[in-house]
Amino acid sequence: MEVYLQQLPQQLVNGLTLGGVYALIAIGYTMVYGILSMLNFAHGEVYMIGGFIGWWVLYLLSRGNVPILHASLVISLMIIVTMVLTGFLGMIIERLAYRPLRKAPRMNLLLSALGVSIFLQNLVLNYQGAKARSFYVSSLIPESLRVIEAGGVVFSFMRILVIVVAFGLMALLTILIKKTKVGKAMRATAQDTEAATFMGIDVDRIIVLVFLIGSALGGAAGTLVGLLFTQVDYYVGFQAGLKGFTAAVLGGIGNIFGAMIGGILLGLFESLATTFFPATYKDVVAFVILIVVLIFRPWGLMGEKIPEKV
Amino acid sequence: MERLEKREWSETEKIALCLITAVALGLLPHFMPNNYWLRIYTMTGLFVMLALGLNVVAGFAGLLDLSYVAFFGIGGYTYAFLSSDHFNIHLPFLFVLPLAALITMGFGFALGCTSLRLKGDYLAIVTLAFAQIFKLLLLNLDRPINITGGVNGIYNLDPINFFGLRIESPMVYSYIIWFFAVIVVLGSLRIKRSRLGRGWEAIREDELAAEAMGVNTTKMKLLAFAGGAFIAGGAGTLFASFQESVFPNNFDFPQLVIIYCMVILGGLGNIVGVVLGAIVLSILPEFLREYGAYRMMSYGLILIVLMALRPQGIMGEIGFLTKGKKRPNKEETGVLKASTDLYYTETDKMELQIRPRFRRGDRPVLEVRNVTMNFGGLRALDDLSLIVHEREILSMIGPNGAGKTTVFNLVSGIYPPTTGKVFFEGIDITGLKPHQVVKAGIARTFQNLRLFSNMTVLDNAKVSQFCQTHSGPISILFHLPRYREEEIETDTITREKLGLFGARLTGYRFDQKATSLSYANRRRLEIARAMSTNAKLLMLDEPSAGMNPQETIEITEFIKKLRDVYGYTILVIEHKLNVVKTISDRVIALDYGRKLAEGNYDEVANHPQVIEAYLGRKKN
Repeated sequence: MEVYLQQLPQQLVNGLTLGGVYALIAIGYTMVYGILSMLNFAHGEVYMIGGFIGWWVLYLLSRGNVPILHASLVISLMIIVTMVLTGFLGMIIERLAYRPLRKAPRMNLLLSALGVSIFLQNLVLNYQGAKARSFYVSSLIPESLRVIEAGGVVFSFMRILVIVVAFGLMALLTILIKKTKVGKAMRATAQDTEAATFMGIDVDRIIVLVFLIGSALGGAAGTLVGLLFTQVDYYVGFQAGLKGFTAAVLGGIGNIFGAMIGGILLGLFESLATTFFPATYKDVVAFVILIVVLIFRPWGLMGEKIPEKV
Repeated sequence: MERLEKREWSETEKIALCLITAVALGLLPHFMPNNYWLRIYTMTGLFVMLALGLNVVAGFAGLLDLSYVAFFGIGGYTYAFLSSDHFNIHLPFLFVLPLAALITMGFGFALGCTSLRLKGDYLAIVTLAFAQIFKLLLLNLDRPINITGGVNGIYNLDPINFFGLRIESPMVYSYIIWFFAVIVVLGSLRIKRSRLGRGWEAIREDELAAEAMGVNTTKMKLLAFAGGAFIAGGAGTLFASFQESVFPNNFDFPQLVIIYCMVILGGLGNIVGVVLGAIVLSILPEFLREYGAYRMMSYGLILIVLMALRPQGIMGEIGFLTKGKKRPNKEETGVLKASTDLYYTETDKMELQIRPRFRRGDRPVLEVRNVTMNFGGLRALDDLSLIVHEREILSMIGPNGAGKTTVFNLVSGIYPPTTGKVFFEGIDITGLKPHQVVKAGIARTFQNLRLFSNMTVLDNAKVSQFCQTHSGPISILFHLPRYREEEIETDTITREKLGLFGARLTGYRFDQKATSLSYANRRRLEIARAMSTNAKLLMLDEPSAGMNPQETIEITEFIKKLRDVYGYTILVIEHKLNVVKTISDRVIALDYGRKLAEGNYDEVANHPQVIEAYLGRKKN
């Protein structure tokens, strides 16, 4: 027990990092669900492609594993380019695979999303190979900054970066949704698509925007995890997607702030679980949480129960 | 030329088809150029089985089960545990096959139990999580004790062994596997046409309406999970014995996607289509082997493109196989007639004049006693009591939101009252599930029409006989006499009830989909569907809504006829006051969940509080 208590602060920091990433992924799920009531199965793949884009930016800006620009500039570029490109990818997915099915039964939409997921995953497999790509981050950060120790807890530079970027992006999103006109339109569309149309909101544009923002955040999460764990391969999207969805459900799907809180909680649960279980069963913990929440409280911790209209 | 007759296979055609299939299956293995193709041929049989198993869950019942491939795996690993050197157990194949199928069925049942309350996306994601847990266990349960063999799987499984006769020839394997595939095909065909098939289809179309028409949706969903798992488990055992080994990779997500593609390509629920889908997708990739890397990518594309362009699959609604009867636009004499002219024949009018056969009784049939219903902070019904007597028409009127439909929902069991009791023929039915209420003898219609849109008129009505019939999978699969009798009875009763509406719901309309009916006819079908449950009490929610004056007069007469000629007791919600005036024995006016007035039409209509509720108070 003593040992566990000693590990606790460290696990909290790890959990918060992981939680920030999960929250970023979960936002993408929850925003789409809030407006279209659909589960965007392909979101995990967007995250994975985000990781690959980040890798390519780093690779193109490096000569012999040493970056040609200042580290802060490289990292900013990685994140910005990734967000732009994955945001664009999200828009394309919506246009080609989901918009034609707007009025189709829900099951068709879900199956189409499944198709997109498989397509993207194997696209990357075919063109990038099955081997994991390594991020050469060691040359990015000066030695003195790599690890910071405070009161027995180790903060790696990357962890701090992930926490700052993830929470920064979430703060920006919150401002966008709460304070701007577009944000108001998004909230209105999520409440009642039809009524929003009648009030002169271009719902198609809002949906595109939602996919753009959600996918950009998912892509950013992919790059951040690449920087943190220094690896990405074609298969990471599947697991990450499930985790992001778990986070979204935990917070109450459709609720953006719920997704943030759900992500952080899931990250904390997982890293605490690794203290008690073998690391191979870490994912089992996440899935059990998902199953239990969905069965006993499908409207999540923050959501409200909505009875079916007869 | 257009065909007017729906294509039905005659007996001789059926026998010929069986013979051709049997000969083809007998000869095909001998024409395979080499063992590689023979293996593909055998695997095709397995995929036919797997696809049809998934078709039970996803196609028939519309449950998006993403853990299906795990059941395949459970079947395979069960065989590996019980017939190999791994645990040094060597049970005979003929014993393990049914055992593995039953064990897997148990898992399917358990999965169904945990995820019953989930729908659509949530069900998909929970089952996906279960599949992931299964895979993680397969990969990691080789330590501390070696159970699953981890990544390396289990190999050197026993080949099939029939009473000491070891079967190792790939040729014989192909026969065995196709033998079971054919059994699964025939079984699927029989199930689809039975009460179970109709029940599942109804759930897929509209779960709440299915429950309200007497389908035990809980039981049926569990049955779908269990049935699908049974087939997958059996297929898993066959696969394990055929491959003589099992690996976690055999039962991973890509496998699931392939099976889903087969089912969707063929069209969910369409058996012939699914079989063709399985065959096409098993063989086609072999011709495209040089593009092997793109195989999974193309499966993804197939899903996207099919969903966008042809969600009903390749076999859905094409050609003469599925075309229903067309509406005749001529009389038998050859005189062209407008469709409405065909309706209003003399016989129709004659029938309405039939003298009352039943008289009103004073025995209370339905009694709602001090019922209160709260939705969160909203009190929809406030200490409401009402009694419906035998063979009486009781109308409920009141402004929107007065709680009229809530009364229906409470009586039919869609939700239980917060406090209070409901009695039907003296028996307490409070808290019963909707299908139990229907079985007890109360059936309803819905204000905003909840027909099973893609089912035929006849099948819509036949669903209602579900709660009055009992044959299970065994009697259906073997066409036992009990099942045949029930089917004939179902057919007779539903045709009789639909027949009460004359040409509007009979003849060529039997085979038309509910969506193709006019609005008024859909309302009529809802009533016919409610009557087909053998109910004694009908609850009609705005039966004349959306009907034109002529149709309204007709439905009014019909409702009266239901009471006088056929002896039904009727509780009706209606907004058109002239209808209420014509049909009602008594009227109840509701507002804000409370009873404002009760009595005959004139008493209620002239009640000051009722007038106030409708028109507002005069300013003094």
